[in-house]
Amino acid sequence: MLFNSYPFILLFLPVVLGGYFWLGRRSSLAPVIWLALASLAFYAIGSWQFVALLLLSIAFNYGVGHLLVVAKLRPSQRKAALALGVAGDLLVLGILKYAGFATENINALFGTHFAVHILLPVGISFYTFTQIAFLVDAYRGQVAAYGLPHYALFVTYFPHLIAGPILHHKDMIPQFEREESKHPDAHLILCGLIIFAIGLFKKTCLADGIQPLVALAFEARSPSFDQAWLGALAYTFQLYFDFSGYSDMAIGISLMFGIFLPVNFNSPYKATSIVEFWRRWHMTLSQFLRDYLYIPLGGNRHGRVLRYVNLLITMLLGGLWHGAAWTFVIWGALHGAYLCINHAFNASVPSVPPLLARPVRAAGALLTFLAVVVAWVFFRAESVAWALRVLHAMADPTNIVFGREEIAALVLVAIYAALVWLAPNTQQIMGYDHGNRRVGEALRAGRMRPLILYGASLVLAFGILGIQSHSEFIYFRF
Amino acid sequence: MRGTFTSVNRLLLASIACVLGAAALTYAVDPLQLFRPSRLAFYSDDTRVQNAGLIRSQSFDTAFMGTSLAIHFRQSDIDRALGVHSLKLAMTGSNSRQQAFVLEQAIDRGARRVIWEMDDFIFVDAADIETDPYLSVDLYRGTAKGIASYLFSTAMAKESLFAVLRSVPPLRRPLARATPYLPVKFALADVDDIHALPRNFDVARSYNAAKTLASFAYITAPSRSRFLGEGYGYDAMVRHFEQDAVGLITRHPDVTFDIYFPPYSILQFVAMRDASPETLKIVTDLTAIIAQRLTQFPNVRLHDFRAIKAVTHDLNNYGDVIHHSPVVDAMVLNWLGSGEYRVDGKKPTASLDELKAQVEAYRLQK
Repeated sequence: MLFNSYPFILLFLPVVLGGYFWLGRRSSLAPVIWLALASLAFYAIGSWQFVALLLLSIAFNYGVGHLLVVAKLRPSQRKAALALGVAGDLLVLGILKYAGFATENINALFGTHFAVHILLPVGISFYTFTQIAFLVDAYRGQVAAYGLPHYALFVTYFPHLIAGPILHHKDMIPQFEREESKHPDAHLILCGLIIFAIGLFKKTCLADGIQPLVALAFEARSPSFDQAWLGALAYTFQLYFDFSGYSDMAIGISLMFGIFLPVNFNSPYKATSIVEFWRRWHMTLSQFLRDYLYIPLGGNRHGRVLRYVNLLITMLLGGLWHGAAWTFVIWGALHGAYLCINHAFNASVPSVPPLLARPVRAAGALLTFLAVVVAWVFFRAESVAWALRVLHAMADPTNIVFGREEIAALVLVAIYAALVWLAPNTQQIMGYDHGNRRVGEALRAGRMRPLILYGASLVLAFGILGIQSHSEFIYFRF
Repeated sequence: MRGTFTSVNRLLLASIACVLGAAALTYAVDPLQLFRPSRLAFYSDDTRVQNAGLIRSQSFDTAFMGTSLAIHFRQSDIDRALGVHSLKLAMTGSNSRQQAFVLEQAIDRGARRVIWEMDDFIFVDAADIETDPYLSVDLYRGTAKGIASYLFSTAMAKESLFAVLRSVPPLRRPLARATPYLPVKFALADVDDIHALPRNFDVARSYNAAKTLASFAYITAPSRSRFLGEGYGYDAMVRHFEQDAVGLITRHPDVTFDIYFPPYSILQFVAMRDASPETLKIVTDLTAIIAQRLTQFPNVRLHDFRAIKAVTHDLNNYGDVIHHSPVVDAMVLNWLGSGEYRVDGKKPTASLDELKAQVEAYRLQK
């Protein structure tokens, strides 16, 4: 089921909200079970064939987690339990997500003709990573004993289940246990509604609005210089508004239930370096990769060379996490290389004099953005050859069309660029503070309240009017 | 923490009011001319949507259908060459199911003659029209769902708002001039300009032998040659032809169908000959069946332009191996008018046999 669909907005969400608060007046556990069942129903409506897999995954990880948290195991047994849990998760993910890719490469290498056709279960990357983090923390002794309903809700919680953000049990389960969140809070519902409206508008009007321009570069056999750039920039902005729209919607929906989700975006294209970019883009994935991959690999504790190797490995795997294709591997490798260069630059170049700080930051922002755009070409292209064709066109200014269509596209791209660089982001507009569980304090007290209310109603209306019957989120594929 | 729900209610009610307001605006302006024709209307290159409005708002006696090979024709040229009052409905990348559906709507609205550019690949993929995500049957049929999807749409509200701005006297001229360069869908002031190439278009730059040969090299490269026959299956294609083309023709015996096989460059067939001979066989077998079947209908005139050597062997006429230049568009209209290349019902595969011989004999000059 899509957040940007009439059945979700007009039926599913009101019914689940109503049921949650109605049950919240009677019991503490019933709303949790209700929300977990609703989340399963949400998943089943679009992907019924994978519900059993999701349930099995929850049961398996809860069982292993129980061994690590409650059972009195010896250290070696605990290590074995963790290895079993993580290996089990990775094995399932590996088979379902990468078997086809591995077979393709074996066929290409050895001229064999094996065929593997496995449908990728929606959201598997997200719920697998969520649970791996849980197991590792359980092993480290950082997990309290949880009831199965709370754990099941933590994994399946529908605002995040399909495309994130990647949740952390320490953040979520205490919120599910809180009594207060089971009673309707008009302020949180209002703020949730406004954040949802902004996210919906980003998705249906902005991301879907610029999507046709992407074809200029990625569906043309031989795009010109301007077409390749416009198509690549269109994709750069489409992905931004698509994913940040989804993340806003997830936060907004969750807020209506009184639950604060982590922020996943913080105006990433405003970053002045690639290191900063990764602190602002898909933040929960970056945190996961840092805490559960980069640091266990050794992080920066074993010298500069190994640090770069660890960065490259982390980003390569981060690329592969997005999809089983060489284009994603190259995308990850590119970002790994960018990060290494960035760290090497920071280590070898002395700090900039204050007078030059501003222009250097501006140059850094431009360079970072261009590097990100180049990497997105691999992320979007059907194949490496196709990506190289687009990049080749982007590097060949002798072939320019700049006709009616291209000029119109340029106007649209310029509007999007202005929105990305000049407009405040959703958490700034709404004063969303995930850590302190605060939102909309200015709205509560401000004189601008009617203006914000009616502005939000317009945004919500256009978000709803922008709903199209076929408009999945890009991150559903991961 | 608990507060009243007044603000929530106010926000929701205001949103509902905005939604209804946007729908009312779209209804009043009617950018697609679904409810009423308009003198001030602008048109869109998005033909799958635009055609639904054109069929309702334009007057015509002839419908012109086809794929990207027929997209650049101008209605005024068709009218002049053939002495008809035409409506161009060609849709890039369309399949036979979509084409037959749109033609059916045009016939129901008064088309007595159909000119149909028929590619073999339109029969490759013909998904169920009722669930086709690329063509809204409800919009064409004017059902409640179709009308609602039109009225309750941000894209249409944006177009309507822009149309309103364009009608304000001081803004009219500058905006009308700027519109083709702005990111709005309904940007063409003249229905004749839908997908037509600009009058000052540099034909030689876009259509020349170098481009055609580059395209040939591209599609026949070993890594891509398998795409030449992707989806081609003889039985399914014949089935789609029978259902879509024959079905439509049979249902409308009072309508005259001028159907033509477009003049691809010879390299299209040579590419198949060299890189995918099984695809070439499917194409020739299929078009033989089409020729045999269509020439039996009294209301069909079939024209085959594929073996006109002077055109198909001159690679300067093409932008790739199949798309011909507007110079050839004009020739096509003349041939349709003169009936020079009409397929004889007694020898329905004569031109196909000639084409096969040409393909067999053709040697690419290195």
